[in-house]
Amino acid sequence: MNAPSRLQPFIAPGLFIAPAAIALILTTAVPMVDAVLLSLQRWNAMTPAVWTGFDNYVRLAQDETFFRALWHTFYFTVCTVILQTILPLLIASLLNSGIRGSTVFRTLYFMPVIISLAISGLLWAMLFEPNFGAINSLLRAMGLGAYTPLWLAGTNSVMPSVIIVSVWQSLGFYLVIFFAALQGVPKDLYEAATLDGAGAWSRFMNVTVPTIRPVILIVVVLNTINGIKVFDQIWVMTAGGPNYASATLGTYLYSIAFGAMGASNSRLGYAAAIAIVILVLSIVVSLIQIRIGRRRDLDAQIEV
Amino acid sequence: MTSSSIMPGTARTGRAATSSPWAVTFTRTLIYVILVAIVVVEAFPLVWMIVTSLKDPHEVFNSVLPGEIRWQNFPRVWYAMNFPVHLGNSLYVTGLTVGLVVVLATPAAYAFARYRFPGREIVFYAFLGAMMIPPQAILIPMFQFLKSLHLLDSLNGLAFSFVGGGTAFAVFLMRTFFLSLPRELGDSARTDGCNDFQVFWYIYLPLARPGIATVVIIQSLYTWNEFMFSNTFIITPGKKTVQSAVFQAIGQYSTDYTALCSGLMIALVPVVAIYLILQRQFIGGLTAGALKG
Repeated sequence: MNAPSRLQPFIAPGLFIAPAAIALILTTAVPMVDAVLLSLQRWNAMTPAVWTGFDNYVRLAQDETFFRALWHTFYFTVCTVILQTILPLLIASLLNSGIRGSTVFRTLYFMPVIISLAISGLLWAMLFEPNFGAINSLLRAMGLGAYTPLWLAGTNSVMPSVIIVSVWQSLGFYLVIFFAALQGVPKDLYEAATLDGAGAWSRFMNVTVPTIRPVILIVVVLNTINGIKVFDQIWVMTAGGPNYASATLGTYLYSIAFGAMGASNSRLGYAAAIAIVILVLSIVVSLIQIRIGRRRDLDAQIEV
Repeated sequence: MTSSSIMPGTARTGRAATSSPWAVTFTRTLIYVILVAIVVVEAFPLVWMIVTSLKDPHEVFNSVLPGEIRWQNFPRVWYAMNFPVHLGNSLYVTGLTVGLVVVLATPAAYAFARYRFPGREIVFYAFLGAMMIPPQAILIPMFQFLKSLHLLDSLNGLAFSFVGGGTAFAVFLMRTFFLSLPRELGDSARTDGCNDFQVFWYIYLPLARPGIATVVIIQSLYTWNEFMFSNTFIITPGKKTVQSAVFQAIGQYSTDYTALCSGLMIALVPVVAIYLILQRQFIGGLTAGALKG
């Protein structure tokens, strides 16, 4: 055996994979390592960077705003996971109950999904305007003028408002996923349950939910990952305000790194440390996903 | 009313044995009422946007519907917000990104699906890992990286920043697709004297078109709608993509809702038009992408 023949099995796949691998190394691996290194430095992009070890992380642990952002991220994630799993599942079940026109409903529900998060954020910012926005005008017209919240402008109402936008936008997406899964549930399971005297709710809890459990888990994981990363809508609507009341890890990182770009108080190393926190949280969730994701089951169950 | 919609299927499932036809009709009607109510909630912001874009600026807060339909906001905003340029920028970045992702990902996905070689699993998991990196994590280093390459504030640089994540995802989707194609086709082509490249190019690539179409749809939508990188890496107003251009415009038009709504409408038209033409591929592609990704 000479050297070329030992390399033989690598040549063809190597040539096929190499361009993609190089692109991936340049645009993800290198920046990733860079982010880790940057989080160990103090740097404002103007003067040379200084190595400070774990100083950024130590300061992070003492930063009250960081913990508020962490809390808001957690709050957003938990609420969206619950609402964006239960609501689409219930509505998908209604659509799957043998009614006519389910395709039309699905097409309509899916519309907001294709809109960019930035545009839907801008749209909702207008609707939420407290004085003359459409929603409060509607409430006043219905005689509920005493119950008009400040929505995005109030420190207590801003997080629920942001969550409403998220639920509105993603409902159709998770609904379509659940609908596809529900179609895969064997009809005779329902018939058997009905013959045993099970009502609609009991069939839902005892037949539907256990059968599509893997899909429910995937939806929970997708929601969790999106929650950790949440940025676009919030940045567009409030930039994390008022007074950091809707700051998440994503918006806090952004306001530190690019809120004052070029100015001497732009702390890129500190922002990179927040980036690493987001990364670690995402990795943890992804590892959980890999553990629960028995993809064979899923592929068999979902034929979208 | 929807009483005509009692499906024969439900009657046969035995539920009809325990409940009267009237109860079935009632349940059915209730389901429709709920489903239509959700349509109203989901459509309200979009309908409001369309209606507002057709109003006179003075009518916005005074009347629910415009006195007469006024199209004038569209030409006004089209030029004032410089839409031809921004739409062109978005189109360029989307085209370039999608092109690069397809060219890079297709052969790689093919190799992961069709070849056995030592270390294949490790390399594949590295690709999977790249998919899980949140964009925030690489935002700052990517900014510096583009700056050092003199690709900051450039549409080519922006497309470059999208390629990594997009390729990883596309490789993952396309690999599943190549795995579903019969192995025998390649084997018999090889006995007929085709080399590795010819087997890929003449046999599998034409069959992979539906898989490529899914990648094109998902990647186009993702790139067109992307906000964070576009808003950060492009600085010159004339180079902005649609998403960040509309975002910049709120400062200028903060109280002119007719202008803002027409702007959002123009920004949405390309995506909605393609969605209406390719609904099934959109819905199928996006959900399959999420489940398999």
